[in-house]
Amino acid sequence: MQRNLSWRHFDFWLLGAVVLAIAFGIAMIDSAVAGNAELVDYPNRQAIFAGIGLVVIALIAAIDYNYWLVLYRPIYLVMMILLIFLFMSARAVFGAARWFQVGVIFIQPTELSKLVVILILARYFENTKGEPRDLRWIITSLLWTMGLTIWILLQPNLSNVIVIMVIWIVMMWMNGLQLKHLVSFAFGGLALVTAAFPFLQEYQQQRVLTFFFPDPNATYGETYNIEQAKIAIGSGGWLGKGYGQGSQVQLRFLKVRHTDFIFSAISEEFGFIGALMVIAILAFILWRCIRAARLARDVSGTMIAIGVAALVFFQGAVNIGVNLNLIPVSGLPLPFISYGGSGLLSLMLGVGLVESVIMRHRAMEF
Amino acid sequence: MSSSVSPDLRIEPWRVVVFYFVAALVFSLLAIRLFRLQVFEGQSWLGRAVDNYTREISVPSSRGIIYDRNGVILARNIASYNIVITPALLPDDLADIQRIYRELSEIIDVPVNSGTLDDAKLFATCVPGPGIAQLVELGESLAPYTPVPIACDADEIIARIVRERAVAWPGVSVQIDPVRDYPTGSLTANIIGFLGPIPASQLDFYEDLGFVAGRDKIGYAGVEITLQDILAGVNGKRVVEVDVAGKELRNLEPPIQPVAGRNVRLALDIRLQKAAEGALLDEISGWNAYFGQVRISSGVTIAMNPKTGEVLAMVSYPTYENNRLARFIPAYYYQQLSEDPRHPLLNNAISSEYPPGSVFKLSTATGALNEGVVTVDQTIYAPGQLILTEKFSPNDPGRERPFVDWIYDENPAGFGEIDYLRCIAFSSNVCFYKLGGGYEDEIPEGLGILRLGEYARALGYGEPSGIELPGEADGLIPSPQWKRINQGENWSTGDTYIASVGQGYVLSTPLQVLMSGATIAAGGKLMQPTIVREELDDDGRLLRPFQPIMKWDITETPLITNFDCDGGYCLEMETKSTVDPFVVEQVQRGMRMAVTNSRGTLNDLFGDFPVAVAGKTGTAEYCDDVALKANRCTFGNWPTHSWTLAYAPYEDPEIIIMAFMYNGGEGASVAGPVVQRVMEAYFELKSIDLAVGSGG
Repeated sequence: MQRNLSWRHFDFWLLGAVVLAIAFGIAMIDSAVAGNAELVDYPNRQAIFAGIGLVVIALIAAIDYNYWLVLYRPIYLVMMILLIFLFMSARAVFGAARWFQVGVIFIQPTELSKLVVILILARYFENTKGEPRDLRWIITSLLWTMGLTIWILLQPNLSNVIVIMVIWIVMMWMNGLQLKHLVSFAFGGLALVTAAFPFLQEYQQQRVLTFFFPDPNATYGETYNIEQAKIAIGSGGWLGKGYGQGSQVQLRFLKVRHTDFIFSAISEEFGFIGALMVIAILAFILWRCIRAARLARDVSGTMIAIGVAALVFFQGAVNIGVNLNLIPVSGLPLPFISYGGSGLLSLMLGVGLVESVIMRHRAMEF
Repeated sequence: MSSSVSPDLRIEPWRVVVFYFVAALVFSLLAIRLFRLQVFEGQSWLGRAVDNYTREISVPSSRGIIYDRNGVILARNIASYNIVITPALLPDDLADIQRIYRELSEIIDVPVNSGTLDDAKLFATCVPGPGIAQLVELGESLAPYTPVPIACDADEIIARIVRERAVAWPGVSVQIDPVRDYPTGSLTANIIGFLGPIPASQLDFYEDLGFVAGRDKIGYAGVEITLQDILAGVNGKRVVEVDVAGKELRNLEPPIQPVAGRNVRLALDIRLQKAAEGALLDEISGWNAYFGQVRISSGVTIAMNPKTGEVLAMVSYPTYENNRLARFIPAYYYQQLSEDPRHPLLNNAISSEYPPGSVFKLSTATGALNEGVVTVDQTIYAPGQLILTEKFSPNDPGRERPFVDWIYDENPAGFGEIDYLRCIAFSSNVCFYKLGGGYEDEIPEGLGILRLGEYARALGYGEPSGIELPGEADGLIPSPQWKRINQGENWSTGDTYIASVGQGYVLSTPLQVLMSGATIAAGGKLMQPTIVREELDDDGRLLRPFQPIMKWDITETPLITNFDCDGGYCLEMETKSTVDPFVVEQVQRGMRMAVTNSRGTLNDLFGDFPVAVAGKTGTAEYCDDVALKANRCTFGNWPTHSWTLAYAPYEDPEIIIMAFMYNGGEGASVAGPVVQRVMEAYFELKSIDLAVGSGG
């Protein structure tokens, strides 16, 4: 196993793209929190998290990813206990428990759980690589996934449940999911969504309704955030208003501009070109992950890279889609760029896993 | 190739292609949407962004001050203290906030907590009710940097205490709002008026001028409305950048400073106004006490310089207290005023029309002499009553009807043989019937209603005077055509007779009566009555010096349309004539004789007056709703308005005063004393001014 371990194979392009995205994110957070005394520490905090993240990438890359798969039982259990504990504990924010407070740091186990699901599914697909892609295969993988996801659903945190379900579907797809199953999933999913709508939290229902049927008489508050995001993006023009010069950002008309709506902030200050750069970086990271998946020496490696690719892609697309008012408000951060330690560390952990995969890729290339 | 690679490890390439395809599709959609928003729609979103941070702030201008002719303040702006809290400036610590609320509450007597936030939303600004905490919470949710009024119009001492202690209370401050104050209150309310909010119907007009609805007030009555443009000034404007909380960050454009309204000096002499009010109220309350009932319900007295048109005093009773309407217009008070049948909000001096009665004889007298209906030397037989034929058309055989002189009850024989001047001095009705309508061979052709109308209009009757006060009435000079249209009946000979003595259909405002006297007094010059003298700037510099305006001179301006009359039918001719100065002089002499002759109507009042006075009285029968209800509108039982008009000095008139008493009875005895007292006051003030002037 050690014969392939070489830092020569470490994907510096991937790391470079990630570092670029994070650095850009920190700069943008710095611009976004300007003038807000409570948030003044945020760029530093994000930088510290990024620093820790770089260490994490190096460590994880150095360790063979298969070790994690061997330890799947304790990892799965600990994750499940954390999620259950989170569900039980009472730190309610916006009606849902989403984080633990450790000292001054909020830890969101949900972010980490996405990676655990990727690992668990990677192990499952490795073990079942010879088996037929029948319904039993699908349902067993779903059960593995749901073991963690159910607790997230109960938080309730629908957005992240959807993220995990998408990761699951993408990983199955790459593993040979049959088209007929995919189609029936699509319809089944649609039916489920329709049936589940009445059981959504009121604020979630409201978000969906506001999106699909904008009320012309809607009060300021309901459509305010998304309207301000559109103004921020639209007013950016080709080249933007310049770093630290966006009126929507600097005068705080744009809300949650350092997290959910950071893409709008970027669009305002750096314009169409800047926003397109962000999309390009995400696309580049995606490509490097898929490349790693195709070069991986085993199914589990492939699946880990695919899972991380799906995570980055879906979360990024949804966040940008929300900013552009293409889909309802979801609260998913923009990968690597939005402020948030847990999210950033989890993603960098994912990048570390991908690096671990690429460093141990099969020798076919040589 | 390594043998350790088994084929099933590979992802089927087409599945990766599909994944890439989906990703490319999604990214393209995002990019297209981005392009649409930023490039296609960029300009309009940029406009929205600019709108977001741009705020126009109107800087209020101060309203001009109104003075009387001697510089006494009649309207000014005083400070009203509002205790306000700016939510964004309150301390962060909740305990500190609560401490501020508690300490402030003790001083301003507003509870810390009262009702809920939802209750507070129902209260208009400044209306007491919600607690401090509720008001601040509400304000914070709307605009945290906008001060929330906690207590409005606070006592000055409380405001001072709050301002001192506010050093320890971040967020609390005292806001000073200008409020109109009328030091002379009800004494000048009918002239000064009051302010009110901009009505919705005129919102666009005033907003175009830069006014701010809800903050700026406009004139609602008196000179506050007619001089609105002069007094108001122009609001300044600042365009500032604000953040989302409404905090002002910087000026986006050079600020435009407000232009203060100009100050105005009225022609009014507040001392004479006070004397006039006193005289009028004394007389009214004296007579009402004498009769044991409220008989005289309203009255007017006006004093004017006949040579310049300056109105020195104008009192209309009843009136109202405009200071009670200064901060806001209280509904109950306004309702009380508007439902009062005596119309206290109306300036009776210009807005009410009454039959002028005998004071109108000046028109008949001027016309009859000028048209040669009568000569000065001619004697006219004036019995106690005249039996005349009332005809509605030339061929109408007519019906005989008695036309009574006012002296009839006293002396049924009447005045006997009198000349033209005595007709005026004694105010003989019979004489004026003859002059107006003609009588047998004595006065073969009377003045007639059409020519009478011409002379009445020349003296100022029949149209608004144009004084700088709102709501002026026209008065009415009837004509046969008017009667056919409005009464559906032919003009009768009797109509002409009674119009000749200012009865019947003739109506006039008290100011018009004054103007007719002033025209005669000034030798035929009708000066534009004016309440405004000069405009001043902030430093008291004269911006527009007073310039008397002459409307016309009846001896020079051809105003009198000539008529070609034949057997009752009159045709208007193209020529116009003037009044012979000799005629005006004779009318003056007649008015002077009313004072000097022992039988003259004003002899009792002004016979011994140190200054030579000339004048005319009037007792006008009327019938209105009130009189009708009291069953007074029957022959010989009509209620009468009391009029008196007098000017002095006779040789070189400088003051003309009129008084009117609604349902006052005989002119000389009811309205007369008011004129006498105002006249006395005028000359007394004049001598004081002269003494002060020469002393200084």
